[in-house]
Amino acid sequence: MAGQDLQRREILRIMALAAAAAPFPGFSRWSFALGHESRGMEQIRPANYKPQFFSDGEYAVVERLTELIIPTDQTPGAKEAGVAEFIDFMISRDREQQYPFRTGLSWLNAHSERLLGKPFLGLSDKEQISILEPLAYKAKYREGEEDGREFFRRMKEMTIMGFYTTEIGYKELDNPALKFYAESPACPHKDDPEHKHLPPPKW
Amino acid sequence: MVTMAKQEYDVIVIGTGAGGGMAMKTLCEAGLKVCALNAGRKLDPEKDFRNHRMPWDMKYRSFGDPATRSESIGFMDSEYVAGVWDHEIKFTTAPGSKWFFPRCLAVGGKTNFWGRSSARFGDIDFRAASLDGHGVDWPLTYAEIAPYYSRVERMIGVASSVQNRPSNPDGEYLPPFNFRCFDNILAKGAEKVGVPYLHDRIAQLTRDHEGHPACHFCGACTTGCDTGSFFSTHWRFLPKAEATKNLELRTNALAKDILVDENGMAKGVAYIDRGTKQEVEVYGRAVVVAATCVETARIMLNSKSRFWPNGIANSSGQLGRNLCDHLYGESARGYLPQLLGQPSFPDGVGDNTIVWMPRWQNLKNPKEESFVRGYSVYPYGGCSEYPWYAMQAEGFGSSYKREVKRRYPTPVSFSIQAPSLPLDTNFVDIDPEAKDPYGIPLARIHFQWDENVLKMWEHSKKVCADVIRAAGGVYEGSADEPAVPGWSLHDTGTCRMGNDPKKFVTNPFGQTHDVPNLYACDASIFPSPTDKTTTISIMTFTLRGCEHMLEDFRSGKLKRA
Repeated sequence: MAGQDLQRREILRIMALAAAAAPFPGFSRWSFALGHESRGMEQIRPANYKPQFFSDGEYAVVERLTELIIPTDQTPGAKEAGVAEFIDFMISRDREQQYPFRTGLSWLNAHSERLLGKPFLGLSDKEQISILEPLAYKAKYREGEEDGREFFRRMKEMTIMGFYTTEIGYKELDNPALKFYAESPACPHKDDPEHKHLPPPKW
Repeated sequence: MVTMAKQEYDVIVIGTGAGGGMAMKTLCEAGLKVCALNAGRKLDPEKDFRNHRMPWDMKYRSFGDPATRSESIGFMDSEYVAGVWDHEIKFTTAPGSKWFFPRCLAVGGKTNFWGRSSARFGDIDFRAASLDGHGVDWPLTYAEIAPYYSRVERMIGVASSVQNRPSNPDGEYLPPFNFRCFDNILAKGAEKVGVPYLHDRIAQLTRDHEGHPACHFCGACTTGCDTGSFFSTHWRFLPKAEATKNLELRTNALAKDILVDENGMAKGVAYIDRGTKQEVEVYGRAVVVAATCVETARIMLNSKSRFWPNGIANSSGQLGRNLCDHLYGESARGYLPQLLGQPSFPDGVGDNTIVWMPRWQNLKNPKEESFVRGYSVYPYGGCSEYPWYAMQAEGFGSSYKREVKRRYPTPVSFSIQAPSLPLDTNFVDIDPEAKDPYGIPLARIHFQWDENVLKMWEHSKKVCADVIRAAGGVYEGSADEPAVPGWSLHDTGTCRMGNDPKKFVTNPFGQTHDVPNLYACDASIFPSPTDKTTTISIMTFTLRGCEHMLEDFRSGKLKRA
C-alpha cells in the first residue's frame, strides 16, 4: 500500500509541476530549472527573455551580478539556473524593492564610471570584482559606499533565493529534501559520536 | 435574520482542533448525536497541501507573492499552504500589548500543521504553585490523568524513548526517530555541560499504527501530511466520528455566542454561516467550546444574558483571565566545523523537530535558579531544505559558492520553549468598539512577558551557547529579542480549572461551574503552562472531560435530545 502511495504522490508531483510551469510564458530557463534529468545542459541558452520590470540594460547588469555572486565553475551557477529571470519576476511584484534595486543599479554604474571610467558592464571581469569586493567583505568596506553595500546585500539575497530554489541549486547542495525513507535516517558514525574521525571533506 | 434549525442535537461542539476533534470522536462513538461547528472549510489534502512540491514547482518558489506580502500573516502562512490560514477574522491588542495570532480555521485547525511534540505533564507541573508560590495548583494529580494520557498515546501514536526524568513522565511509545550526525555531536556537548539531549516525544508514526502508514520521512510536516502519518483531526478523528453516522459537521460556521434557556443553562449556539453571511442557531443538550483560549474566551464573554451579564459561566470573574503563553526564540545558533565539507544527510525529517532538551532546571530544589519553574529547548540543524545560513557567509564568487556547500551539513540552532506565569495584567476581554466583518465584537488581548520568563530566556542563551562550544562548535549568536507573544500558538488559560466556583471558571473536568452542560475542551482550562507543548494534554483532558459528560447522560442528569 505504501509503495502505491509513493507512486501516486510522484504522479501528483509531476502533474503539479506541469500546472505550475504553464502560467509562466517567457520563462525560458525556468522551464529548464523545472525540468527533468533527460534534458541536456545545452538546451539552456536564453530564448530572448523579455524582462518584466527591468530595462534591457538594467537586466543585463542584474544577470551579470548573479553570475558574479554564484558563478558557473565546476558546477552550474546562477546563469544556468535562470536566477536573473526569477529576480526580475519577483521585483516586478515587489513595490518595496523596486526603488532600491533601480537606484542601486544606477549607483553601481555611476560608481564604476567614477572609479574606472566605464559603466559596470564595460569593465573587465577583474575590474568588476574589484568594484564588488569592498561591498561584500567587511575588511574591505570603504567610507561612503553604504548605499552600494545595501544594494549588494539585496542583490545577493535575491540571488541566493533564486539559485537554491531551483533543481540546479538543489543538486549543487545535494539537497536531500523530499526523498522518502522506510525508516528515520540514522547517523552512520555510531562509533564516533563526536565525529572526530570523519573522512576528509569532500569539498 | 435568524434561521431556526429544527433538529436538536445531544451536543454542539465548537471547534474541530485537538480538543474539538477528540470531543466529537468520543461523543459520537458513545452514540450521541453531535453537531460540530467549524469556522473554516474542510481541507482537501491533495489540493491544499503542497508539501511534496519542490520550490521550483511553486510560482514564487515558496516565498509567496511579494505583491501580497503585507497581507501575509507570516509564520506558516506560506505558498505551500496558501489559502489555509485565515485572514478575515481579526483581534485587537490593548495599548502596549503585542500578540501574534495566526489562525487556521480549517477543519482540524492547527492539528493540520502542528509541531507534534507530545510530552505528558507531570506532578511537578500540577503542583508548581505549591513548590514556588506562584499562581494555583492544578486540581488533580498525575496519577489521576496518567491513564488518559496512555489511551491518547495509543490512539494517536507517539514516538519517543523512556527517559526516566522527574519532570517528564514516560508514556507508551513507538520507536523513536534516530539521532542524526549533529544530534550525536550536540548530545556529547550537552553531556559535558550537564544538560539532557534526548528524543522528543513526537506524535508521528515510526511504524504503521491503527491503520495509518508509517511516516515516509519527507520532512515537510508543517505544510501538512498527505498520508496522515502524524496526528491530525482530519486524518484520525474526523473519519472515526463520521463512521458512526452521529456527526453533522457544519463548515464555515463561525460561532458567535452560546444560547441559554430559561434557567440560564446552555441550549445551543448562534453562529454565522460565512457563506450566506446569515446568523444560524443550532440547539443541543450540552455545548463543548473548543475554539482555542482566546476564541473560547471571546465566544463566552460575548454570550451575555440576564443570567450571565458578564459572559456565560463567569460568576467568578475569571473568564478571560490567566492568559499565558510559551516564550519562543532562538537561544543560540552556530555551526559544527566537524561536518564542514561532509556529504549531505537527510537531517530535515520530521521538519527537524525530533529531539529536545527537556527541562533540567529547578528539578530538585524549586528555587535553585534565579527563576522559578523551567523551560525546554528544541535543537535543530543540519541540511535544511533552504540554506538559510547563506546570507551569513561573507562574499561572493566561487569561494563563496563552495563555502555555502561546505557549510550545508553544519548549522545548528536552539529554540527555547518557556512558560509565562499567570499575571493579573495578562488577559482577554472584548474590544468595546472593534467588530469582525459579521458584526461580532472582537477579542482584545492584554499581554506582557513577565520577569521570570525573561530570566529563562537569558539563561537559555548562555546554556545553549555553552552546548555548541562544548560540542566543538562555533557559537555565532542569539536572537536579540524573543519572538512576539502568541508566536508559539501555545496559549493557555482564560477558563482555568479548579474546585472553588468562586475562583475558577471550570471544574477539573473542564465543565463550567455555573453552567453544568457547558464544557471547555481546549488549553483554556489549564491553570498554568509548563515547559511542554499543549496539544496532547488538550486531547487527554478532553477525553476525561467528555467521559464525565457521558456519565451525566447515562445517569440522566443530562437528557438525550
